[in-house]
Amino acid sequence: MLQYILKRLWHTVYVVVGISLISFFFIHLSGDPVQLMLPGDASEKEVDELREQLGFNDPLYLQYARFASKAIQGDFGQSLYYHVPVMELVIERLPASLELAVAAMLFALVLAIPIGIISAVKRGSFLDMGSMFGALLGLSMPHFWLGIMLMLFFSVELGWLPTSGRGTMAQLIMPAVSLGLSLMAMFARLTRSVMLEVLSLDYIRTARAKGLKEQIVIAKHALKNALIPLVTVAGMQFGFLIGGTVIIETVFGWPGLGRLVVQAIFSRDYPLVQAIVFVLSLLFVGMNLLVDILYVYLDPQISYSAEK
Amino acid sequence: MKRLCLLILASLALFFIFASPGLTRDADTLIVVQESEPVGLDLMRSSLQNTMSVCYNIHDTLFYPQQDASIKPALSDKWEQIDDLTWKITLRKGITFHNGEPVNAKAVKFSFDRIFDPEIKSPNKGKLSAFKEVKVLDDLSFEIKTEKPFAPGLYMLAIYLPIVPPEYIKKVGNTKFNTDPVGCGPYQLSKWVRGESVILTRYENYYGLKPFYGKVVFKTIPEATSRVAALITGEADVISGIAVHQRKKILSSGKAYLTSQMGVMPYLGINTYEKPFDDVRVRQALNYAINRELINKALFNGKAILCNGPISPRTFGNDPSLKPYPYDPAKAKALLKEAGYPDGIKVRLAYPTYMSQIQEQTEAIAANLSEAGIQATLEPFERAVMWERYKAKKHQLYIYWWDDAPEPDRYMYSLFHSKSRDYYYKNEEVDTLLDKGRTILDRAQRAKVYNQIDQLLYKDCPWAFLYVIPEVFGVSNTVFYEGNRDGFLNMRWAKPKG
Repeated sequence: MLQYILKRLWHTVYVVVGISLISFFFIHLSGDPVQLMLPGDASEKEVDELREQLGFNDPLYLQYARFASKAIQGDFGQSLYYHVPVMELVIERLPASLELAVAAMLFALVLAIPIGIISAVKRGSFLDMGSMFGALLGLSMPHFWLGIMLMLFFSVELGWLPTSGRGTMAQLIMPAVSLGLSLMAMFARLTRSVMLEVLSLDYIRTARAKGLKEQIVIAKHALKNALIPLVTVAGMQFGFLIGGTVIIETVFGWPGLGRLVVQAIFSRDYPLVQAIVFVLSLLFVGMNLLVDILYVYLDPQISYSAEK
Repeated sequence: MKRLCLLILASLALFFIFASPGLTRDADTLIVVQESEPVGLDLMRSSLQNTMSVCYNIHDTLFYPQQDASIKPALSDKWEQIDDLTWKITLRKGITFHNGEPVNAKAVKFSFDRIFDPEIKSPNKGKLSAFKEVKVLDDLSFEIKTEKPFAPGLYMLAIYLPIVPPEYIKKVGNTKFNTDPVGCGPYQLSKWVRGESVILTRYENYYGLKPFYGKVVFKTIPEATSRVAALITGEADVISGIAVHQRKKILSSGKAYLTSQMGVMPYLGINTYEKPFDDVRVRQALNYAINRELINKALFNGKAILCNGPISPRTFGNDPSLKPYPYDPAKAKALLKEAGYPDGIKVRLAYPTYMSQIQEQTEAIAANLSEAGIQATLEPFERAVMWERYKAKKHQLYIYWWDDAPEPDRYMYSLFHSKSRDYYYKNEEVDTLLDKGRTILDRAQRAKVYNQIDQLLYKDCPWAFLYVIPEVFGVSNTVFYEGNRDGFLNMRWAKPKG
């Protein structure tokens, strides 16, 4: 197992280097930020000087080599707009992104699993149809719209929750719910379909034949197996949640990485884009590794040591 | 029953845990919400409106700019014009920066030299390029010289030259100064939690009028509906960035009011160097083809001011005798025919995508143009690409905007003088007049020069002139605050109502 983890960690290096190469070349292909950094009446000379000063006149491979050699030492450079080290900016925003992602994921899982199980067990019932219709609704509602509706109702009409910002539990509720609702719907539908499949398998019939209580059959025998696809999807979604919550961050003024990366891309703040992409790819790969390790716990038949 | 009681208790506990924070507020704190957070707090290093707004609370300049492009004393005590090229300015006695450093003539010289320091890359240095040098006379007096007579000189200093502490900057460096600045303004930086808020506290040794609020917190909510919701629920006292369609909601809430500030002046730029727009008749046809009245009614509830030339009707030097081009598609067609385009023309119309209001205006304009036989293909561009193509002279027609500053030189020189931007238009007569307008110190004479520029450009149509949309701030009913034409949120003037 340990060997497997070490091997996967080594693969992470390839992935991160690959991603940094792709993002570096793509963002540089879209033009340099010099024109944006200077006022409209800047002369050609000023433009050229700044371009030279920032090293944009060098060939791309040289620029990448310069970036990579510094990045290895943990120096991702200074933001072209904030004029501070980019890692400082990323580290400041990361806790907010993680907090929102964890809250949305918890909200989604805590509700989705029971709903999925009940729907599967009571298949075809009013409860099943109702919850699956609700799930469809949850999946179809755009985050943006839902966020604003929640805010208008709970903040403006009822005055129960603050409209935006970060710092208190109350401020976390609406962003987490807006973000988590579609996930919850997706997980509930997934749980239901996997549970239906598992419940029709032979070993469940055997368990029932042994006279085990239905609750035990469902909770201990069926659910654990049904969780494997759910863990896979949830793991992937968690990776997306960390950097991909820009709309919710915009609506609720949440200071996460999503908004920062979008601003950085629009303003061609290359060092900042690189740093965020680096951190997000690390988190994404880390999440995948964690999912693989969780498989072993969920299904003892999976053993990575056998791979050698 | 026991279960039910527990359930009710748990619900109540949850309600109090979740609902209480954020709803109680300190009366000595003012909360200001903007669209974006500052990129730094060094006023010399940014030209972004939201960044400058925060900075003007921390930093002070030599003068206060006024709504009519005149000035009033700020750090300066008195000033006199020695000759056409020299002003002698004396600072108030006993002013200090937030760290106790004295505000003196040496600090002014240091600040002036710093704005031209290549390391700073100040986007505002072009606005002060008419100035040559600062000469220190004694502790509080100095002379500031220009190359040529420069009429808007003191007004430009009032906006673009913050006085910064030399010793502190030498000690901490430019990077640290940008995140942890020391100024001589009414508020000092207490804490900046990037991404969340900038917290300012009153500087007790401030030389001017003591600000009422002890603490000002600048927050960021990028989404307009959320900002309005924050104002209505009392979480924000002052907000910026209010779209026209949201103004009614604020007023009808009974919780807040609107105060006017600067105006946004969009314009339809024309590439006059290329066919078919090298012909003035085609450019005039564009002006006749746009139904400004209808766009104003449909998109701005009639609140916009129609432009009668390139100088905003609210800017000094606008010629009020000029009338906005009337909507006359027949005349536009006739002009096109006269110019040799009886079947109309096909054009490209570029616009930036980062302002949603611009898209709807562009679509309305394109619909107008098509009625006059001008078929426009819309070209939406992301901010950086739009700007790159603009500078590379790749647009044929394009929509951009400027704020309608009280002082004409603030935008007319930048946009029309060929030394500044000759990307799409050059007119030597206008160049000469713009140079002249800068140098005439007599206000009435100066107004005549800008009237002349306005008339020339009105006829020559380097743009299709559109309208000015007066922007507003939303202010809570508990606060008294009047917006200013410079558009900055200077909280030293805010106080409780009543």
